[in-house]
Amino acid sequence: MGSPMRSGSRRRRTGVAVAALALCSSMLAACSGDDSGKATLNWYINPDGQETLNKLADDCSTDDYDIEIQLLPASATDQRTQLARRLAAEDSSTDLMSLDPVFVPEFANAGWLAPFEGDLADEVVDDDVLEGAADTVMWEDEVVAAPQWANTQVLWYRKSLAEAAGLDPEQPWTWDQVIEAAAENGGTVGVQANRYEAYVVWINAMIMGAGGQMLEDTEAGRDAKVTIDTEAGAEAARIIAKLADSPAAQADLTVSNEGTSLGQMFPEEGPGEFMVNWTFVYKNYEGQVDQFDDLGWARYPATVEGEESRPPIGGIDIGVGAYSENLEWAQQAAVCVTSPEAQSQLAVNEGLMPSRGSVYDSDELKEAYPADLLELFRNSIDGGGPRPKSAFYSQISSAVQSVWHSPDSVSEDTPGRSESFLNDVLDGKRLL
Amino acid sequence: MSTKNRIGVVIGAVLILVWCLLPVAWIISLSFKSQEAITTGSPGFLPRDGGGAGWQNYSDVIADDQFRRAIFNSIGISLIATLLSVIIATLAAYAIARLEFKGKKFVLTTALIIAMFPVVALVGPLFDMWRTFGIYDTWLGLIIPYMSFTLPLAIWTLSAFFREIPWEMEQAAQVDGATSWQAFRKVIVPLAAPGVFTAAILTFFFAWNDFVFGISLTSTEAARPIPAALSFFVGNDPFNRPASLLAAGAVVSTIPIIVIVLLFQRKIVAGLTSGAVKG
Amino acid sequence: MTSTVVAPDSKKDRRKTAQMSDRSKAEERLGQKLVLPAIALMLLVTAFPMLRAIYLSVFNYSLTAPDDREFVGAQNYITALTDPLFWETTLNTVFIMVVTVAVELVIGFIFAMVMHRVIFARGVIRTSILIPYGIITVVSGFAWQFAFSNSNGFVNEWLPFLDNSFNWFGEYGSAIAAIMVSEIWKTTPFMSLLLLAGLAQVSEDMLEAAKVDGATWWQRLWKVVLPNMRSAIMVAVLFRALDAYRIFDNIFVMTAGAQGTESVSFLTYRQVIEQFQLGIGSALSVLLFLSVLVIAGLIVKIFRVDLAAARQEG
Repeated sequence: MGSPMRSGSRRRRTGVAVAALALCSSMLAACSGDDSGKATLNWYINPDGQETLNKLADDCSTDDYDIEIQLLPASATDQRTQLARRLAAEDSSTDLMSLDPVFVPEFANAGWLAPFEGDLADEVVDDDVLEGAADTVMWEDEVVAAPQWANTQVLWYRKSLAEAAGLDPEQPWTWDQVIEAAAENGGTVGVQANRYEAYVVWINAMIMGAGGQMLEDTEAGRDAKVTIDTEAGAEAARIIAKLADSPAAQADLTVSNEGTSLGQMFPEEGPGEFMVNWTFVYKNYEGQVDQFDDLGWARYPATVEGEESRPPIGGIDIGVGAYSENLEWAQQAAVCVTSPEAQSQLAVNEGLMPSRGSVYDSDELKEAYPADLLELFRNSIDGGGPRPKSAFYSQISSAVQSVWHSPDSVSEDTPGRSESFLNDVLDGKRLL
Repeated sequence: MSTKNRIGVVIGAVLILVWCLLPVAWIISLSFKSQEAITTGSPGFLPRDGGGAGWQNYSDVIADDQFRRAIFNSIGISLIATLLSVIIATLAAYAIARLEFKGKKFVLTTALIIAMFPVVALVGPLFDMWRTFGIYDTWLGLIIPYMSFTLPLAIWTLSAFFREIPWEMEQAAQVDGATSWQAFRKVIVPLAAPGVFTAAILTFFFAWNDFVFGISLTSTEAARPIPAALSFFVGNDPFNRPASLLAAGAVVSTIPIIVIVLLFQRKIVAGLTSGAVKG
Repeated sequence: MTSTVVAPDSKKDRRKTAQMSDRSKAEERLGQKLVLPAIALMLLVTAFPMLRAIYLSVFNYSLTAPDDREFVGAQNYITALTDPLFWETTLNTVFIMVVTVAVELVIGFIFAMVMHRVIFARGVIRTSILIPYGIITVVSGFAWQFAFSNSNGFVNEWLPFLDNSFNWFGEYGSAIAAIMVSEIWKTTPFMSLLLLAGLAQVSEDMLEAAKVDGATWWQRLWKVVLPNMRSAIMVAVLFRALDAYRIFDNIFVMTAGAQGTESVSFLTYRQVIEQFQLGIGSALSVLLFLSVLVIAGLIVKIFRVDLAAARQEG
């Protein structure tokens, strides 16, 4: 009889201790802000380049405030959800946030981003900022975020494989050429075709490469004109279907992402792959693989022969939360973490390319990257094809994913179905 | 038992062990594959030669702030929710098992409906309410729903246990000269404690397992529990899902469960079966 | 004493009310006081949000454009109910529910029989069966997702009739199978423990008598064992079926709804939490709740179980 009682009271004590601990920790959190007399700015970052971002947070902290890093989930959709939920709750502790450019219009439209005004706006978006990047932070003639880095995709490949296939590195390649070259030589083509944001990146890039776009008049919001059921849309569908049917498709095509195809470049057996992927790939392989010299790069494949490709555009813009208690400081900090020095560090250490043209000419970058690769990145961003700039982008993206996935079901009716579904979704007539 | 039957039972027992433990062994094995091997692809149950990571994944996962924070959140939130839920359930179960009062059926029906409630249907309005109350993304914001959803199970389990307690003994002790507090403490508490304890374990399991509330009512590591953290888990390489690192995290998050199961196997089985069966 | 105290008998209640003494009045007040916190908490988190969901469901309301909220009447319900996607996911959810519960019932029963008969290693077996029960569903989802993965898993290698590069998540059939395997693995222990409790109720005397009468093992199973554990089976089926109908975690982790593997819960989650469409999302929440009630009602009706009695009295 004694023992259950003893264990009972011990349990009770543990319980009290835990409750006390919880109280302390919440009180500590409440106190730390007041006591030190120094404000804390929360910066929600996406996981790319954490180390350098942590360093930037330290460097950009001042006597008035400390910048503290909060990490967001890995997928773009989850990042948006987490941030939007905080902002919808009018959270005053969301000071700085790293935003995927495609979500900037939605956030700005909801009034969640504090616009940069006056001199600050001129500083954030000056002539040095590449046009593709500058465009992503403008909403209704206001500067609603600061471009921090710009991302783009290029075609990475094994030089030996391209040589065996007889591809001429001096000429731009088309998707058809790349798929056939891989298929005929035992190689594969790496893409991102899981049901997630990057699949839309691929589809959009191919549609734009054929001179089309997914939507026109996107500022009209829900009334934008859907233009997927066009010749350009048909080209994109044809290429996806061609790859899905081809022996060059990777076994995990329907669940492929930026990571899954990395391993196929230098496999234990086989000639490797062609892979469209972001700029981080270079740093990912450099010093990691023996056959690094065999890694080649080229402009994103063209959808139709003779028409220049429109490589995907990504990157990160720094937004300042509209409900932040320290708006001015937060904007100051945003300028600091997007400065040319900051961008150069991100590029050199993390492979995240600058959104400012002058940084490409800096010595640090020239040392870290081959000159032709730097030029390729810069040209790709300059000539890139952005995804639709709409306050309803997340619905658009989700609607496109649901019709175009899985890639092996894509056929010639896909663009038509996609267009009518997207129209219905924008009209609120369909579930997503 | 005939020999045939006995063989059947032995085969059955082995089957149960394989069924239950094989996936656990798999996730442990996966957690020892190196991240490089995962990136290039390393099929097979065991890590290949040269594809092993030793304890690297574990030290990485333990060194990860987010993960440590999630473990802390999960332990704290689950323990507090368990403690409070069991206290409230004990009161209710005592009333249900011992007292006659109007509304008893209402309590039991409510509990039943809540046990069947589709949690996802609630997260939208709850999110809306919590942000109005300012408890969105806090421990409290998770503790409250965890309590509500574990109450039915706790009330059932406890009332089943309480009905078995010979309450007359309390009066007998009082006749023997004990005060009613003494009688309660010395006679009833020891008899009721195992039931309370069992209810606590089952409640803890629920809170530890929850995912829907965990991802919907949090947005930072301030309150994000382990299941949500695992699903959002980001390794050093954001473009590559760190399967083996994730596996190490999964194993770590399973350790408390295994410890509890090892220590209290009898009580959990009794608790799970008590509601359904008399005795 | 057990049965008289617990079974809420309305006739008896009425008689009692008539001759209510001070003592029983005090008892009643105490009883109500004791259950009050539990009731309040349960209602705070369910009834109140549910009412709010009903209210929001008649608006077109998006969190990203809160000022554009407008009253639309039953439009959200019409949109949802006329959308093939809603019916596809409902069908898929019912399919998952039926298959997993049926498989779990069979495997769970076999496990329960073994646990009931086994004389050696009882503790070891019961301990290991509790591990899947206690493990986090998300972890189970990951474990099986990686197990079925063609780049890092082992299932393809172990199954001789499958090509090693087979992509389990590449089509509906195999993807849903993978999800169901995870679900079944994780929840069979719960089922088998409930059934074990039911088995313990079957009297050995009756079994002996049937044996003496020359009944075969199979006959004894169907004529004696199963009828006598009917209520345990019903409780197990009811609880597991409703649980399976709410499936979310495994789908979220393993496919995120790709290849048509979405469940109703997942669809609702996407509207509300991912797309912030609180209006139509709330309508879906209400429909989800109603469908759970319908399923519960159907099971209770088909098997004619008195729920409270079954759970409280066995």
